[in-house]
Amino acid sequence: MAAQIGTVLGIGLVFLGFGALLLRRSLIWKLLGLNVASGGAIVFLVALSHRPGAVPPLSGYPEGTPSADPLPQALVLTAIVIHFATLALSLAYAISLTERFHTQETGRIEAASEEEMER
Amino acid sequence: MKRALTIALLATLLGILLFGLTDLFPPAEVRPWAEMARAYGAGNGVASIVLGSRLYDTLLEVLVFALAMVGVRYTLKPLGKWREPVVPERGVVREMADVLLPVIIVFAVYLAASGHLGPGGGFPAGAIAGSGLLLLAMAKGIERLSRELHEGTLEPLEYGTIAVLLVLGCLSIPLNHRGSGLLVVFNLLIGIEVTIGAWVVLHYFASHRGEI
Amino acid sequence: MTVLLLAVLAFALAAVALTRRRLLWGVAVLGVHSLVLAALYFALSAPDVALAEAAIGFGLVTFVYLLAIRRTGRIAVAAVECRPLLYPEGEEVVGLVWELLELLAARTHRELELRWVERGEVEGLLSSREADLAAGDLVPSARETAFPRVPLLPTRIVRVRRGNGPLGAISGSREAERLPRGGRLFPRRGELLEALERGELGGAVVNLLELRSFYLRGTFRDAEIEPLEDADFVVLFAPDEGELAEALREIMTELREKGEWEELLRRYL
Repeated sequence: MAAQIGTVLGIGLVFLGFGALLLRRSLIWKLLGLNVASGGAIVFLVALSHRPGAVPPLSGYPEGTPSADPLPQALVLTAIVIHFATLALSLAYAISLTERFHTQETGRIEAASEEEMER
Repeated sequence: MKRALTIALLATLLGILLFGLTDLFPPAEVRPWAEMARAYGAGNGVASIVLGSRLYDTLLEVLVFALAMVGVRYTLKPLGKWREPVVPERGVVREMADVLLPVIIVFAVYLAASGHLGPGGGFPAGAIAGSGLLLLAMAKGIERLSRELHEGTLEPLEYGTIAVLLVLGCLSIPLNHRGSGLLVVFNLLIGIEVTIGAWVVLHYFASHRGEI
Repeated sequence: MTVLLLAVLAFALAAVALTRRRLLWGVAVLGVHSLVLAALYFALSAPDVALAEAAIGFGLVTFVYLLAIRRTGRIAVAAVECRPLLYPEGEEVVGLVWELLELLAARTHRELELRWVERGEVEGLLSSREADLAAGDLVPSARETAFPRVPLLPTRIVRVRRGNGPLGAISGSREAERLPRGGRLFPRRGELLEALERGELGGAVVNLLELRSFYLRGTFRDAEIEPLEDADFVVLFAPDEGELAEALREIMTELREKGEWEELLRRYL
């Protein structure tokens, strides 16, 4: 039951995140939407690792109690850190873009860069 | 047109959602991870996977982290520095930092060193130490802290950590050496790496000019 | 049960965060959302992931966003005090120019941040981009002609003479450039006024609004006035804030068309 709630939440968050990514026009709002979507993917994977009546996959518990699956958790652990690193890099790019075009609306950035290409 | 595409994409996601609610794919049996963990000398199942059976994944991800930091440096360095200090010094924060910083650092080192026995490990430890550095920057003023943490020393330290980590990791698998000591060393090195990465991000975002 | 509550809370927070107007609120609510997610991971018996998410998602990610957007959504105004146009009254700021600035902020969805400066500091602040625009007692000097501008009101620079003695002006302004040799410069209008009342000066080179404020204080009632040059009060913008200048021009055109401009002039002048 808990795992299914988790999967539903995960997909719902991806839904929300991609909606924000597509519909918002400013660069940083798009990055926020992507952030939420990746959070949703992580929730999905963690929910997949949960078993009914599970305890965390640590060695302190008595033998035989059903424990959660450590494999998706391991996949997700480094994903969180990498997500932060790529977020920092994307924000650095956004800063550098804004420095050049003085706007954050993607429509205007595209128009301005097309003008530059033609020149 | 854009709205139509958006709605189509989101409807597909909704379809996947409803598909996931049905019981077509029941979750698999949990593999017996306890013996594998004991073989690697760990008590934590996740740590035994991250630093044990999938060590190469972790090493490459540390490399990706460092690459992202290099990218941040490269992108933000050509922009000049701020004229005014963006993270100024404040008295109240200084008092608080006097009390909190030792706790934060000790907690980070504890998490890294006991990551193979309980929850924790190198990654959260590095992030917490990075937040501690942020607190220090708010207490001392970012100018002073940047001067004290000299960039020239930090770069070779970061690359050296990665190099040692890669060499140790790549050697431990063919030589088939397993044990909890190796796991502690890995955790500590990863913690140092993530801390320096977080500091680089803090320093470059806070003090270089980037008008948004 | 806990999982259900936390899940609903996380979803609601994400929905709220992504529909905010201002970026700052979105980032703040997203920080809370990641903390709730960390609690959710704990309830789903994944303590490693919970720790990592709390430390990184809550601590570092929110902080990186805040550092990146620290200048979004603000208009940094360098304000030169000028009695009917832009002046502080108690805690608040009032004036004709203030109303215009508020309209500009509402139209560009940014908020105003005022900083009271001296007339001479305006050029430095605008060229280093520490201020996005400058307003108030501004008649642009020869060095400030490069900045984009929006003219507001016509005025005139006059030379006022009341006796023998050097002339005074506010340093850094256009009036100071019209000062004859031997004149004295003051950083602020208040100090110029005090020097006049103490009798140290024989007159001043000022614009019409400054003259009006001297009259209202009783100085210069019997002086002789000589017009020097026609000029305009302007709002100066930093070199790359072209769209902000465009927005202000649109606002001025609309005000003139709707006839509200005369009403504003009548109210403040």
